[in-house]
Amino acid sequence: MRWPRSVAPASLSLAMLFTTTVRPSPAGAYVHQKRYAMGTVFEIVIYDEDLSRADAAARAALDEAVRLDSVMSNYKPDSELSRMNRSAHGEPAPISHELYEVIERSLFYSRISGGQFDISVGPVVDLWKAALAGDSPPSAADQAAALRCVGYQKIELLPPDHIQFHSDCMRLDLGGIGKGYAVDRMAELLNARGIHRAYIDSGGSTIYALGAPPRASAWSVRLRDPSGKLHPQILLTNSSVSTSEQSAPSLLRGDKPGHIVVPGTGKPLDTRYAVSVKAASATDSDALSTTLLLLGPTKGAALLKTLHGVSAIWIDSDGRRTVAGESVAFHLAGENHAAGISDSSERTMEAARGRKGLRP
Amino acid sequence: MHGLLLALAGAPVPAAAKAFFRIAPSRLPAVDKTAIEELVLAWPLKDSSILSEFRSQGYHVWLQCDAKDVAPAVQLAERSTLRGLIVTNAAESKQFPGQELGSYAATHKNLAFRVLLSGGKQPQMRGRLVVERDGILQVSSPSTQPWLDTNLAVVRLGQSYPDSAFPLMYDFHWTPPETPTGTSYPDVEDYALAIAESDAIRSDVVIDLPASLQRALVAGEAESWSLWSKVVPYLDFSSHAPMANVRPLAGVGVVVSDRRASYEAVNLMARHNLAFEAVRSSGLTAERLAYWNTVVVFCPLPAEAVAALRGFAAKGGIVLFVNPHQKFPWHQTTPLRRESHLTTYAVGAGEIVELGQPVIDPENFARDLRRLIGPQRSVLALWNSLTALAIPYREQGQSGTLLYLVNYSERPDNIQVQVKGHFTGVRLESPEENCCVSLRFVERNGFTEFTVPSLRVAARVHLDFREGSTAQ
Repeated sequence: MRWPRSVAPASLSLAMLFTTTVRPSPAGAYVHQKRYAMGTVFEIVIYDEDLSRADAAARAALDEAVRLDSVMSNYKPDSELSRMNRSAHGEPAPISHELYEVIERSLFYSRISGGQFDISVGPVVDLWKAALAGDSPPSAADQAAALRCVGYQKIELLPPDHIQFHSDCMRLDLGGIGKGYAVDRMAELLNARGIHRAYIDSGGSTIYALGAPPRASAWSVRLRDPSGKLHPQILLTNSSVSTSEQSAPSLLRGDKPGHIVVPGTGKPLDTRYAVSVKAASATDSDALSTTLLLLGPTKGAALLKTLHGVSAIWIDSDGRRTVAGESVAFHLAGENHAAGISDSSERTMEAARGRKGLRP
Repeated sequence: MHGLLLALAGAPVPAAAKAFFRIAPSRLPAVDKTAIEELVLAWPLKDSSILSEFRSQGYHVWLQCDAKDVAPAVQLAERSTLRGLIVTNAAESKQFPGQELGSYAATHKNLAFRVLLSGGKQPQMRGRLVVERDGILQVSSPSTQPWLDTNLAVVRLGQSYPDSAFPLMYDFHWTPPETPTGTSYPDVEDYALAIAESDAIRSDVVIDLPASLQRALVAGEAESWSLWSKVVPYLDFSSHAPMANVRPLAGVGVVVSDRRASYEAVNLMARHNLAFEAVRSSGLTAERLAYWNTVVVFCPLPAEAVAALRGFAAKGGIVLFVNPHQKFPWHQTTPLRRESHLTTYAVGAGEIVELGQPVIDPENFARDLRRLIGPQRSVLALWNSLTALAIPYREQGQSGTLLYLVNYSERPDNIQVQVKGHFTGVRLESPEENCCVSLRFVERNGFTEFTVPSLRVAARVHLDFREGSTAQ
């Protein structure tokens, strides 16, 4: 039993508002399934002429998310990650190919971000998640003790399949990249089963679009907008978008605990931004969304100049935004829309929001 | 419900919940095969001859009608020696005064009367996406967390009427399946969850038995009987619920007057497993306050209730007023803290918090409230159990606790639980495990901690306390 831990996953309040399909599909030939995994709900929508095939493929993809949860969960004591976190201190420990792969990619982002993205920050994050769940904010001594365990430089990958921690209290947490990795594996699985029109959503924080819906050129995704003024959208085809945002400040307690912690200080990031990142893979968009939120728009835009095929938009609660990256990927209210988002789809979307009120 | 329930007297909470099945007025297999006890038929009935067949098969038959139809429905029920009437939406339509229903009950003593709460919904774990029939996708919730559609808030708010003489129950209609390749009626898990939730809330529920399934059962179709045979253990489990006199174990009292104004916030409190009871301001008695450590007020209060809450705070309680527009005595003191939408007053050993706006984000409000209450005041907490609902009860005069758990996810999960207090034994029962399996537990910081292994849909955990025994 591992008390006290917050129940909140890394994507605590990453409210990416979304609506999709450029126009209604008269055929309506789709399958929609959902499954709880990794502390959130994974959902898949598949358009396919063969609904039996689509149904089986969706189940298989969701099974894959559940399986990867058992590999990368830091909540489950018997997951491969948990076992590694108990055994890799001071001596090499064997790990699976997929765990090796996701840690390797994480270290890449740690290096290019100067340590802003750091999968070893878990012990500090846990302190603040506990505060989010109702505990008192951690003491300075507790923070210092947890911070001592942090540092991606103390993680050594030993090809092809071993890892060693050069710290006696290191513990990795893949919350900033694991769901994206799972989404990529799900997309691969769908592709391999001949599915080419699908939408995969891990709780709204990371989305991957495979192909496009029938009679549309792309999936149109509405993005998180803390200001409520810009109504940003993005078109996705065989690409991914992820959004990161800090937990909302406490209204009743007047403090600001948060699930996104600055690795250098060990304190919750204080930001008014939400950042959405488009990338070719969900692994990359997931890792980069946290990274770019921590870096902020100025340093983040500079980082994006070194990366290929990645775009990002930072939006603050007053509606100020910064867009960076290679392509003009984001579409805001009142600005020209790319091909594929029609006026009629906008109206449909707004009507839907009015009906649903965005809350069940 | 206002008009009807306010006029009635004495709010019974069911000793155990029952699942009623609403069916089409056509044949059904015998009661020993279906394990259904209570049947509901909707008024008006074109042909009432089927009623005698149901009764001869051993079913208890109820008529469900609107308030305006009680007069003819009660005549048929009396004539056909039915079990009773379920009156729909009686007060909200304001077409049926409570006194009148009371008078029917007085003159038809062989009939039972029940009132159906409005607002029930199919229990389920929802994702974010809603797929419309025309192929348009939408987001249903801005939350990235698993969203549970539960009926706990509907029932607790309904039970807040202190004068309701008739047992309350709720119903819902099945959401059409989103996967067109699926069956034409709900799956085992859907029925199991509906039955388990009703059991955990301890409120009767009316569940639709789709006509297609009813026909298939009558026809003896193997697939439908395979489904139903898996539902029966949940009906059995629910029907064997402890019948003792229990009351919800709640650390939080919620004071409401308008259900609609407070529903979303209370719904999210339920969703976050904040153990609460709901009352009207007239229900703010000293006895009630003695059970709670926190009170959340969503409505204007009379002077005596304000005084009671001030006394409650002085003894160490937390009182949170949501969007109050009243002058309070403590406004004459210097606040402990004042921010744009929040003012906090120290009152004796406790505090009074005034949130100067309505609840805009119920999800955040529930999280915030849990933080305000703090772990030590919480009655229970779950760890890594975002898809589970936990509802504790205590037998009156006893020190043990009975905890109901419902898992809304289709996957079994290990549910880690903390319950406030010292216990000498923790026992688990579920539809899969006869009563009872002892669970290992530890005590930490005033809480008893244990794990319910592989919770499929429903479980009851008995936390026993015996004088002279020690914890494991």
